[in-house]
Amino acid sequence: MISLIDVSKVYNQKDNSTFHAIDSVSLSINRGDIYGIIGRSGAGKSTLLRLINLLEIPSSGTVIVDGEDLTNLSKQKLRHARQSIGMIFQHFNLVSNKTVLENVLVPLELARYPKKERLDRVREVLRFVGLEDLMSKYPSQLSGGQKQRVAIARALANKPKILLCDEPTSALDPNTTKEILEVLQSIHKELDVTIVIVSHEMDLIKSICNRVTIIDNGQVYETVDIKPKGIVNSDHTPDWFLTQLTEERESDNA
Amino acid sequence: MPEILVQYQAEIWQSIGETFIMVGVSILFAIGLGLPLGTLLFLTRKGQLLENRYVFSLLNLFVNIVRSFPFLLFVIFLIPFTRWIIGTAIGTAAATVPLSIIAIAYYSRLVEQSLIDVPKGVIEAAISMGASTREIIFKFLFVEARSGLVLGLTTSTISFISYSTIVGVVGGGGIGDFAIRYGYQRFETELMTYMIIIMIILVQLIQFLGTTISKTIDKR
Ligand SMILES: Nc1ncnc2c1ncn2[C@@H]1O[C@H](COP(=O)(O)OP(=O)(O)OP(=O)(O)O)[C@@H](O)[C@H]1O
Ligand SMILES: [Mg+2]
Repeated sequence: MISLIDVSKVYNQKDNSTFHAIDSVSLSINRGDIYGIIGRSGAGKSTLLRLINLLEIPSSGTVIVDGEDLTNLSKQKLRHARQSIGMIFQHFNLVSNKTVLENVLVPLELARYPKKERLDRVREVLRFVGLEDLMSKYPSQLSGGQKQRVAIARALANKPKILLCDEPTSALDPNTTKEILEVLQSIHKELDVTIVIVSHEMDLIKSICNRVTIIDNGQVYETVDIKPKGIVNSDHTPDWFLTQLTEERESDNA
Repeated sequence: MPEILVQYQAEIWQSIGETFIMVGVSILFAIGLGLPLGTLLFLTRKGQLLENRYVFSLLNLFVNIVRSFPFLLFVIFLIPFTRWIIGTAIGTAAATVPLSIIAIAYYSRLVEQSLIDVPKGVIEAAISMGASTREIIFKFLFVEARSGLVLGLTTSTISFISYSTIVGVVGGGGIGDFAIRYGYQRFETELMTYMIIIMIILVQLIQFLGTTISKTIDKR
């Protein structure tokens, strides 16, 4: 589904030296994968993800998505290809002056989706993420988890085959994280979407990914196949918080 | 109504009309050319979609030069150009030439500033959805920056009113010119006071309108 072949991303720095944010990385992501990319801060995870839809133009190497060499496309063809690659971000990146409905409508407008069917499609994806009732709200009226679900709906509107996620839950609490992971999992199962997730949270990666690449210093450190452990129930009730806090105190006293 | 206002009624209305024409034309130029220029300034900045050092420096220089001119000198400096465009350098129509040019430069800078405030992530999301530059401008940038654009236009309009009082030197007319000619030069202090009050009310109204609109369309 996705192949990166010997891809590098080099930045020119202020002192005229160069910095290899991504250094000759090759990897392939299969159709149906929930593929994790993990590594410490600054390792190059986000850069690697953004190379997949050419949000970063590779300095060298080839990016092939769904059989198409993106690095060789005209600007217009590249824009077209991007319409079938969904992407979500840590900070959601919704248009705050547009309602939920309008936000999800935009990608359909961009893809010249048949006018008469747009509204139905918006309803359908919003129902999928469980936000049909909030269509006329503005992002500032939503919780973080709801915002991310709008972003997911927006990314799904054009029925992409691939969903790229950059730290999709890093701005969210454990309960909301669980919600979002469940949405991602149902996208994978029900809509047959290949998912790539960048994260530094081990629990997240372990719970839903079937294949994981560890990135360090812009290079592939190791790629492993794992068996997803399932989403852990992290229902953080007030009682849970209380137990956590008091247990700590008791073990300190002991 | 004070007697003196009744006495000069016709002239007062005419001067208000002239101010409206001068400021109105300035607003049209600010929107028609200042908005695109400001957008281009933003887009050609370092790290932006159409990054281009040469185009940016050129536009930036133009805006800076126009804005750094003392306006009175600018009006005089432009007289040959004004005569070439309008056919005369005297009168309200002629006065709109320097006013429009300063309007373009002034508003474009405020447009650039408002667009800088749009979160970079929003533009990234737009690119990831396959939006073209044109679509990014109209469906993302202008939507997200709209309250700043309106506030900027409000501030600009008020400056245009102030600038328009100076074009009296080339017979531009307007409220400010009237206040100076009748009030100051003919020692009709009372009349001058009334004209100043009219200007204050006008500015207050515009500011109130601008602030209200900008607040209602701001959903951030
Ligand atoms: N535009 C840029 N110019 C110069 N250096 C950059 C640029 N973008 C990223 N880098 C550098 O590339 C490296 C990798 O950045 P990247 O954002 O991919 O890291 P990351 O693994 O996602 O980190 P984090 O977990 O903090 O998000 C970092 O050292 C960063 O400073
Ligand atoms: Mg990152």
